[in-house]
Amino acid sequence: MEAGWRHAVIPWLAQAPAAPALNMWNAPAGTPEIWMKVGIAMLAGFGLLAALIAAPTRLRRPISGAFIFLAGLFWVLVFLFPKPIDSQTPHEQRPRGFVQDVSFWLADAIPVVSNFSNILTAFILGLGVFSLVRIHLMRVAKKQNDWPFSVVLLVSMVAMATFGYWDWKTRLDLGGAKVDEAWPLAAYGKDLLFDGMLQVMEAAMFSLIAFFILSAAYRAFRIRSVEATILLCAALIAMLNLMGAVVVTWDGMIESFGKDNAFVMNFTLSSVAGFIRDNLQTPGIRAIDFGIGLGALAMGLRLWLSLERVGGN
Amino acid sequence: MQSESYPIIKLFVGVACTVGLYSVLYRETKFYRFFEHMFLGLAAGWAMFALWGETLKSTWWDRMVGSVADEGNPAVPGYWAWALLLPIGVMAYFVVSKKHNWISRIPIGIILGLWSGQQVQVWFTRYGPQMQSSMKPLFPTTWSEFITPLQPEAGAVYPAQVIGNLIFLLTLLSAMSYFLFSFETKSKLFNGMTTWGRWLLMIGFGAIFGSTVMTRFTLMIDRMYFVFIEFFQQGLIPLIGGR
Amino acid sequence: MANEKTIWEKLQAIDRRVLYTLLMVIATVSLFFKVNVPTKPGQPTKDLYRLLVDDEALPEGSTVILQSDWTQSTRGESAGQMEALLRILMRRNIKFALLSVADPQAPLVARNVIRAINLERKAKNQREYQVWEDYVNLGYFPNAEGTSNAIAANFKTAVAGRKETPPGSATPLDVFQSPVLSKVSKVEDVPVYINVTGSKTSNILIERLGGRVPFAALVTGVMGPETLNYYQSGQVKGVAIGLNGVAEMESLMEKGLVETGKPEVKSFAGETNYGRGMAYYLALHTCLVLMIVAVVVGNVAMVAARKKK
Repeated sequence: MEAGWRHAVIPWLAQAPAAPALNMWNAPAGTPEIWMKVGIAMLAGFGLLAALIAAPTRLRRPISGAFIFLAGLFWVLVFLFPKPIDSQTPHEQRPRGFVQDVSFWLADAIPVVSNFSNILTAFILGLGVFSLVRIHLMRVAKKQNDWPFSVVLLVSMVAMATFGYWDWKTRLDLGGAKVDEAWPLAAYGKDLLFDGMLQVMEAAMFSLIAFFILSAAYRAFRIRSVEATILLCAALIAMLNLMGAVVVTWDGMIESFGKDNAFVMNFTLSSVAGFIRDNLQTPGIRAIDFGIGLGALAMGLRLWLSLERVGGN
Repeated sequence: MQSESYPIIKLFVGVACTVGLYSVLYRETKFYRFFEHMFLGLAAGWAMFALWGETLKSTWWDRMVGSVADEGNPAVPGYWAWALLLPIGVMAYFVVSKKHNWISRIPIGIILGLWSGQQVQVWFTRYGPQMQSSMKPLFPTTWSEFITPLQPEAGAVYPAQVIGNLIFLLTLLSAMSYFLFSFETKSKLFNGMTTWGRWLLMIGFGAIFGSTVMTRFTLMIDRMYFVFIEFFQQGLIPLIGGR
Repeated sequence: MANEKTIWEKLQAIDRRVLYTLLMVIATVSLFFKVNVPTKPGQPTKDLYRLLVDDEALPEGSTVILQSDWTQSTRGESAGQMEALLRILMRRNIKFALLSVADPQAPLVARNVIRAINLERKAKNQREYQVWEDYVNLGYFPNAEGTSNAIAANFKTAVAGRKETPPGSATPLDVFQSPVLSKVSKVEDVPVYINVTGSKTSNILIERLGGRVPFAALVTGVMGPETLNYYQSGQVKGVAIGLNGVAEMESLMEKGLVETGKPEVKSFAGETNYGRGMAYYLALHTCLVLMIVAVVVGNVAMVAARKKK
């Protein structure tokens, strides 16, 4: 029984060994066996989906609650369960016993479970692209206001996706070094669209905020209340402290009054800014952070235990 | 081999895109909207490719089907259980169904569950050391000098440091009380503390503002560098026979 | 003309386009002046420099994990940080394993910086950094939280399957066969974990690594105040913040670091130390002065207009 537990359950998800042995959870690549197993698993998954579609209304909330609980349970166990002595220990040299087995299994499964959210997020992000395409295709089809801009968007999207995929496939087939040497059309297209346009536009978009921040500060940064005055003074000191030339000049001036006098040296710009940073700014931000942390912890527990309204109804 | 004229063409296209987006500073025109939609399209197109090329292929597909041995690399078996994630991912698309849209909550719920399960561990690793470092000495260990000397004695706590630590603690507690006791209270102490908390938070926000301004200005300076130094000075002028 | 605006009212309502033009012109003109602006490095940057250059903290020839999580959108700050960092690592023959979790574009952007610094070294007849021998690119890992968890739990499994092509070979091989990672299987095996980031990935790493390895961060100004919080609690051992941090790093590379009660840290005088940080630093000064002047003008005009009323 014990051997059965080890051989059947431990390798499940725990794909840690560099050269994993074959077991019921895997199959050699490129063989009909792996394709058959994958096919059966997908069929089973879609079967589950069909069962969910047919599920009675009263079961919806418990079903989604169970999924959430099981997903969270893994990480809670990782935190609460005794840690393995050293997760790098080769499988055959690991200590034996239920607790040790579970702790090693948990440690080995972390990289695997961590991937679940990556993969599911990727599947869900596809939904965003799907919605964007749907909205803009409808706008073009119905010739709504500014429909030519939707055409621009769709053409840019198709071009980027095509060249991105084409270049990626070429690199996989020929090797990155050869592509960088030969520069086929795919490389030009991808480089121009991605590096020459998308990246530059992203940087330009982010940099636009500089102009808005200047205009907003000029208009809104007025000493109308105690809070605004404090905010303005702190911002002024912070900005002065970011200018090396100002800091060096100011501090030099203070040093000329008494370089060896600890009291005088408290008035250097770096000391004043450092005092504000260490004793006012950091605890302020820390308090905000604690607040956010407590909120996240409470929200995490509520979600995990289905106390939040997330499940079906 | 990359064409010799390609780098300057690429720079020119980049500058045109920058000018197109910067035109919004004057007014939102059709010229700007053209570039704005092009940007959105390119970003969505890249996401479409990256979802497969950078995420699903390596983290899902390759692990599911494995890889055969090639020169220097051993064979890696495929793990069929990964296939179960596809139907779960497909569940998200039920959001468009009026009758069965509750199913779309399952994949989102799994992601939320995975996130929430980590919060306990994360809370302690993130905030534990911070709580510890907030416990600062509140009594001086030496009265030899009031102000911390330029070369302080190792391990000594000077009265001026204690004042700094008190201010630290006061800021932390009053700012926390501002957040945690945001409901109405008749206690003069709490009201006073939350007012103090608000004022002291303004100092923190002022410093954050200064730091944010630095980033935003630097990003703008970088764009000016791209247009006027990389394109004009280093690209265009040498090309048309300048220095 | 009862409705005519006074000078003070006009000064309170300067057209935004005038401000925009002023900002653009001032930034551009400043970029044409090549001036090494003096700096006075702050303690967080000094600690970072000590961590990277001091042989006790980071022995020459050892391997570090370098997580590069920035793209062109924060090039202004992050590129300068990455360049300064790579110059130090390459001069000290520190091997590095490069990975990204924030954006699929990040590995490509990081590779471009490595190429640029290699060209700089080639021009000076210095040894170029070779992929496989000196560094490996582990690529992009989606989901910062999940990846950081996996790395903290078991680095070798987390990056399993990543390959790199050794020079002169046509076949990509497992990165753990390379001299860079041959002695690394968990994060505790590297002396420093470095993160150059344009987003919040440094926070995620702090949460997930949980003090298993000394952690250093090079962050944008936006993330600076929050990161200083972790620096003060010892969760980050050294930090460079924004463009100011880059300029300070470059200045330390030129002049070295002397601190009371601590061993002196060497400089790299005679090498190319001033780079993008110093190229932009004067412009940052002039733009900040414009910001301060604009705010002061607005306030003075407001007070004067009130008094007149």
